[in-house]
Amino acid sequence: MIKAHPSEALLYQYSSGELSCAMSLMVATHIDMCPSCQRVSAEIEQHLCEKHFDEIAAKWDQKQCDDMLAAIFSSESSHPLIHNDPNNMICLQGRRFNLPPTLANNAYRIGDWNHMLGKLWRAPVSIGGVENTNLIYMEPGATVPEHTHKGVEATLVVNGTFSDEYDSYEDGDFIMLDASRKHSPRTVQEDCLTLATLDAPLHFTSGISRLLNPFSSLFFK
Amino acid sequence: METVSGHASQRKVMKRAQQDTAERAAELLATVAEKRSRAAFSELFSHFAPKLQAYGTRQFGNEQTAMDLVQETMTNVWHKAHLFKPDRGSPSTWIFTIARNIRFDLLRKNKRRKDEISADELWPILSEQNDNLDDDYALDHDVLMQEIKHYYHQLPDAQRIVVEKIYVEGKSQQEVSDSLNIPLGTVKSRTRLALKKLKELIVEHD
Repeated sequence: MIKAHPSEALLYQYSSGELSCAMSLMVATHIDMCPSCQRVSAEIEQHLCEKHFDEIAAKWDQKQCDDMLAAIFSSESSHPLIHNDPNNMICLQGRRFNLPPTLANNAYRIGDWNHMLGKLWRAPVSIGGVENTNLIYMEPGATVPEHTHKGVEATLVVNGTFSDEYDSYEDGDFIMLDASRKHSPRTVQEDCLTLATLDAPLHFTSGISRLLNPFSSLFFK
Repeated sequence: METVSGHASQRKVMKRAQQDTAERAAELLATVAEKRSRAAFSELFSHFAPKLQAYGTRQFGNEQTAMDLVQETMTNVWHKAHLFKPDRGSPSTWIFTIARNIRFDLLRKNKRRKDEISADELWPILSEQNDNLDDDYALDHDVLMQEIKHYYHQLPDAQRIVVEKIYVEGKSQQEVSDSLNIPLGTVKSRTRLALKKLKELIVEHD
């Protein structure tokens, strides 16, 4: 059962097309996994349509209509800008993961897996924009040292379970944290695949892990 | 991290006039899709073009870009009318989402990096294969099937064969009794025992 959802404000911005590419990908993937947000975003689209199409707009004269209609009737049908080879399965460390449709459509953007440190793996997702978006894989018993974020970190659980000081999160949970929240994500018995986007490097806050700060770009780029 | 419950109750009841317009627009879209009717499309066009123009003008603050948005949106409506699904929402919402996608891409057109995501990749409303991807994806469905298969193979052969005939091949208990040449009572008890055993295996594993 998904318990952590994007706020309605975020869903509204998403449906209006106002979010960055990275955040749009995160929200779209959550919506793939979440029947409740599918419903809400359909309602938001309906609401946006009523809002934007409601105003009385001046009718077009016949000539104006005919000119554009002529152009439309003589146009060729175009194909959507979509990669023709959706790949809905990825493999890592002998595990196979199902990708939700939005990630499957964008699977060709997923780069090679790199071992970060400890039990953490990362594959970059190239979608443009200033944020860094990665798939992060935590083996069972992995810990990310306690850190804050200079910017906003959004995390979506694609498969598995991880916990931090606040709660534990499962498939489909969507978590947004800003600079005011310290946390150290960890896995126990189960592994976890997440999609994460960051708009600034992590900042490690406790004990010896502060030594990592000079290398925090490891976690960022 | 707000919860989203309670939102459904806020849903507005569609006004009567809107409903009539929606029904008419859905008919016209169907006619365009089936008969490639230019007359039906022209009626849709004269209704939606001014609305799209107003939306585009507010979004871009530029008349020329607004007109590009109208033309691109309505060109898609002309070619893709068959992709409108009446059970998923109203015609105007569908047309609005096409315009929203075109706006998303137009805003990035000039500074687009080659790896930047496109609106079609986020909202594949105009993709012919949209349905497959939407409906095929179920959380862990394959894993679940794998697990069930695994448990199923732990059943004694006599029980497994009965369950297979009933639940995989769809035979009735009487048919299984006839084909295996065993009494109906035995088929029933093997089914019951097999299901009980499967349930134990699954619960135990959880």
